[in-house]
Amino acid sequence: MSRHVIVVGGGVAGTAGAITAAVHASVTLIDGGTGASTLSTGAIDLVPWTEAPATAAPLTREVQQVLRALDGYCVPDRGALVLTGAGVVRPARGHDAALLDVAPVASGRVGVVRCGRSGWDADALARAWGTRFVAVDATVLRLDGERVLPDPDFAARHDDDDRLGWLADRLREALARSGGAFSALVLPPSLGVERARADALSRRVGLPCGEAVGMPGGPPGLRFERARDRALAGAAVTRLRDRAVSVERAGDRWRVVTEGGDRHDGDSVVLAMGGLLGGGIEYAPSEAALASVLPPAARPALRLSIQAPVVLGSHGRALELPGSLFGVPPESLAPPFARDALLDRAGVLAERNGAATGIKEGDIFAAGDLVADAPRTWLASLSAGVQAGAAAAGDAAQRAGAVRSIA
Amino acid sequence: MDESEPFSVRPPPAVMRVAERPLEADHVDAVVVGGGINGTGVARDLSLRGLRVALFERNDLAFGASGNSSGMIHGGVRYLSRAPKVTESSCRDSGYIQRTAPHLLFRIPFLMPLRSGPTARLMLELVDAYFRAYDDFQPLKRGEPHCRLDPSDLARLEPGLVGAVVGGITFDEWGVDGARLCVLNAIDAIENGARLHLHTTVESIGRIAGNEARGERYVVEARDRMTQRRVRVRARVVVNATGAWSPITAALGGLPQARTRVRPGKGIHVVLDRRVTNYGIVSEAIDGRQMFLFPWQNVSVIGTTDDDYYGDLDDVHATSEEVRYLVQGVARVFPSVREARAIGTYAGVRPTLFAFGKNEDELSREHAVVDHTGDGAPGVYSMIGGKLASYRMFAQELCDQVLPREFDSNAACTTHVRPLPGGSRVPDALDLAAKNGVTPVAARRLVYRHGERAPRVLECGATTRGGHELDVTCPCEPVLESEVRYAVREEMARTVDDVARRTRLGLGACGGMRCAARCGQIIARELDLPPAEGCAMARDFLERQARARVVALGPEQARQEALALAHVRASLGELR
Repeated sequence: MSRHVIVVGGGVAGTAGAITAAVHASVTLIDGGTGASTLSTGAIDLVPWTEAPATAAPLTREVQQVLRALDGYCVPDRGALVLTGAGVVRPARGHDAALLDVAPVASGRVGVVRCGRSGWDADALARAWGTRFVAVDATVLRLDGERVLPDPDFAARHDDDDRLGWLADRLREALARSGGAFSALVLPPSLGVERARADALSRRVGLPCGEAVGMPGGPPGLRFERARDRALAGAAVTRLRDRAVSVERAGDRWRVVTEGGDRHDGDSVVLAMGGLLGGGIEYAPSEAALASVLPPAARPALRLSIQAPVVLGSHGRALELPGSLFGVPPESLAPPFARDALLDRAGVLAERNGAATGIKEGDIFAAGDLVADAPRTWLASLSAGVQAGAAAAGDAAQRAGAVRSIA
Repeated sequence: MDESEPFSVRPPPAVMRVAERPLEADHVDAVVVGGGINGTGVARDLSLRGLRVALFERNDLAFGASGNSSGMIHGGVRYLSRAPKVTESSCRDSGYIQRTAPHLLFRIPFLMPLRSGPTARLMLELVDAYFRAYDDFQPLKRGEPHCRLDPSDLARLEPGLVGAVVGGITFDEWGVDGARLCVLNAIDAIENGARLHLHTTVESIGRIAGNEARGERYVVEARDRMTQRRVRVRARVVVNATGAWSPITAALGGLPQARTRVRPGKGIHVVLDRRVTNYGIVSEAIDGRQMFLFPWQNVSVIGTTDDDYYGDLDDVHATSEEVRYLVQGVARVFPSVREARAIGTYAGVRPTLFAFGKNEDELSREHAVVDHTGDGAPGVYSMIGGKLASYRMFAQELCDQVLPREFDSNAACTTHVRPLPGGSRVPDALDLAAKNGVTPVAARRLVYRHGERAPRVLECGATTRGGHELDVTCPCEPVLESEVRYAVREEMARTVDDVARRTRLGLGACGGMRCAARCGQIIARELDLPPAEGCAMARDFLERQARARVVALGPEQARQEALALAHVRASLGELR
C-alpha cells in the first residue's frame, strides 16, 4: 500500500507541495477556499522586489517543473519588468503570463491603451511610467456597461476567441490610425480568466500585448486558481473542498479532521494554509473575545487557525504570553511602527526543508506564508512548497522502500 | 418644527474697503495665523466686513483640533446650571450654523441610560429635571425636547444595551464634519477677497517702525513648507488663531508666552467600520469620565479621552492604551462593540484655557480674546480656547472688537445669516444621481459635503482627456474623481492627506489601499508635479493612516492590514 501525504491549503505553496509529493506518493489536498494566492496580482518574486538583487537567482529543476505544470507563468532568467497601476515600473522575478514584461522591449515606444475602463487613466499612467510610454486611443469596450464591469468579469469576456479576435482587430486599427511605431501595448487587467490570453492576442496584433498589475482580487488570482485546478488534476491529486480543523496523532499516522467531520489519515502532513492574509494565522488579541471589564487570561497575540502540534514564533523563538491581560500592544506587532514586525514574520517554526520544529517524528511540514520568518512572496512560497512536498513524500517513499526491501 | 423652515438669504454686503489706498499685493489689513475653525471663521468674518485678509496655515485647514473633534455642534448643555446665558448663546449659534450650512448638519439622537444603584432613581429625576430645563432652549437649535425612557424603552431602541438600568433619557445633538466646516469658511473668505496660504509656516512677526500713518504696523514673514517659497505680508492687525500652537505663534512676535498660555488636552476617537447603533450612547469610562459611542456620517465613533499633552503638535496620534480605555468604557454598557471592526483612530489637541492643579475635565472650554496692546504689541490679538460649536460667535466677538478700534469701521456681522458656500439650497441627491449617471450613494455623499455646489463638483475635470471625472476613485466612501480634482482646484488641497480631510477619501476599511496611489496621480497631474511626487504623497498618506489604524487593531482589520501591505509593497514599494 502506497504512503499518503495530506496537504492542507490550496494556494501556491500547497499546490507546489502536492504536485511535488505526487511524484512519489498519493496525495490528498484539502482546500478551504480563497487565500493570498487568489489575491495575488500577477507579479511574482522570490525576494521582495525592493530588495531584489540585480541578477536573478536560477530556479531549481523541481521549481521549474511545478511552474511548467501550472502553465501560465513566465520566469525568464534575466528577470522581468512589470508596470503597476500605482504608476511604478518595477523589477519582478517573473509574472503571470498575461502581464506585459517590458524588459525585452528594449527600445521603442510602449502604447498605453486608452480604453475607457473606469479607473484606468492611460494618460496619467503613461506619464507616471516614463517617457517611453504613450497613450493610444483604441476601442476595447463593446458594450457601454463594460466601462464599470469588475476586472475579473471583464477579463472573462476575452476567454472567448471571437471576442479576443475582435479586440485584436480594434488594436490593429488603433495602431494603424496612430501612425506611430510601437513596440508593445499595455492594457488594464483584462486578458482572460481561464488562462492568460496575452500570447494569443500578441500573435494576432503582431506586437507584444499584456496587462499592467492591478488590484488584489483581479484576473491574475483567478487565473492562478484555474491553472492550479488543471495542474492538480494532471498530477492525480485528490481534492477536497473542506476546511481542516485539526491535525492529530492517530497511531503512527497523522489524522486531519475537517469542518465537515471527515477524517483523513496520512503518513505525513504539509501545512500550507497561508499566513495572516491567507487565514492560516489569526490575530487574536485577548480583548477581542471578551466583553467583561477585564479579560480573565493573557494569551499570545497570534494563533494557528487550526489545531495542530506545531509551534508558532518568529526569529527562531516561540511566541510568549504577553505581560498584559489585554494582549500585546499592537504598536509592537505591526508596521509601520515596528520594522520586521511580528505580524509580518510570525508563523510556524520550521527547519530548512519545512519540517516543523519540535515534532518527534518529523513528518509535519509547513510551507508558504505560514512559515515563520519566510519572505511573503509568491516564488518563495512555491519553492518552500516544493521542498516540503519532496520531504513529506521522500519520507513516505523511503519508508515504502524499506517495507518493500523487507518483503 | 418644520424641517424646511425658510430663512432669508441676504445678498452679500457690498464690500467696503476700509482704507482707500492703492497697495501692492503684499499689503493687507489683517493677517490671520491658523487655518482651523477659529482662523477660517475670523478670516471669513473680516473679509465679509470689507477687510483685506491674508491667512497662514502651517499644515492644512482643519489639521488640528477642528478636524479631529467629535464632530458635533453642542448646544452647551453642560453650562446650564452655572451659566445659562452660555447655553442660550450656544443653542442660538447652533441654530445659525444650521441655517447657513444646512447640508452639513445631521441630527444625532442620544440615549443616556442610568444604571441601577442606590441613588439611581434620584439621579434619573435630577437628569430628567435638568433636561426639562434645557428643553426651553431646544427650539433655538431645532432640537427635539428630551424624552424620559423606562428600561423597556431603552431595550427596544438599542437592543445591544446590557446591564440593569432604572431608565434613561434622550437628548439631541447635531453632527457636523468639522473639516468641511473649516473649508467652507475658508472658501467664503477667499470669495470675498481673502488670500490663504496653506502649508505655509509663519517664521516671524516683526514690528514696522514709522509706518503707522499708512496703517501698517507688522510684517509677517512665512515660508511655504512644500516649495520653500518665502511670503512677506504687511498688515495693521495680526490675529493669532493657532489653537494649541498659540504660545508658539505668540513667541514669533516676541510676545510673552504666558499671555497666550493654553493647556493642551489630547483627545482621541476610535472609528468603527459602520454605524453600529442608531443612537448615540452615553457611557462612563473606568475613571468615571463621561464618554460616547455615536453614529456619525456613515460610521460609528467612540470618544473621547482628555489627557495633558506634552508631545509634538504636528504629529499627534492615538495609542493603543487610549483605544483600550475607550473600548472598555463602551463595552460595559454595549458589549458587542468588542466584536465591531475598528478601522481607524484620529487624535487632536484641545486648546483648553490654562490652569494649574485641576483635572483635565474641570478645565474651562470657554474662549477669550487676548489684546496684546499691554504687551507692547497693539493690533495683535490672540484667540484662546473655544470649541467648534462657538467658532462663529468667537469670530464675531473678535471682529466687533477689532473693527471699530483698528479700522474705525462699524460694519455689521453677517455670518449668522449669510449661507456658507453651497448652503443656500440643498439639491436632491437622487435627482443628481439620475441626471449624472453616478450612484445614489456617491451623490448623497457629494450633496452632504457640497450642498448646492454638488453639480459644480461633478463637472470638475470634464474637460480632462480620457473622460474619467465620474470614475470612483475611493470606493469605500465613495469619492468620485471629479471631487478629488475639485478639492485640488477649488479647495486648495495639495497632498493626498489634504484631499482625505476634504472628502474622507481613503478613510474607509481598506485604508486607502485602493485609492491613495490614484489620488496622488491626480494631484500630481493637477498641480503639474512629477508623477513620482504623487507616489510619494500616496506613500506618506498610507503610512500615516496605517499608524492611525494599527493602534486599534482587531482580528478582521489585521487581515486587511496584511492585504494592504502586500498590495502596497507589490505596486508602490516599501512605505519607508
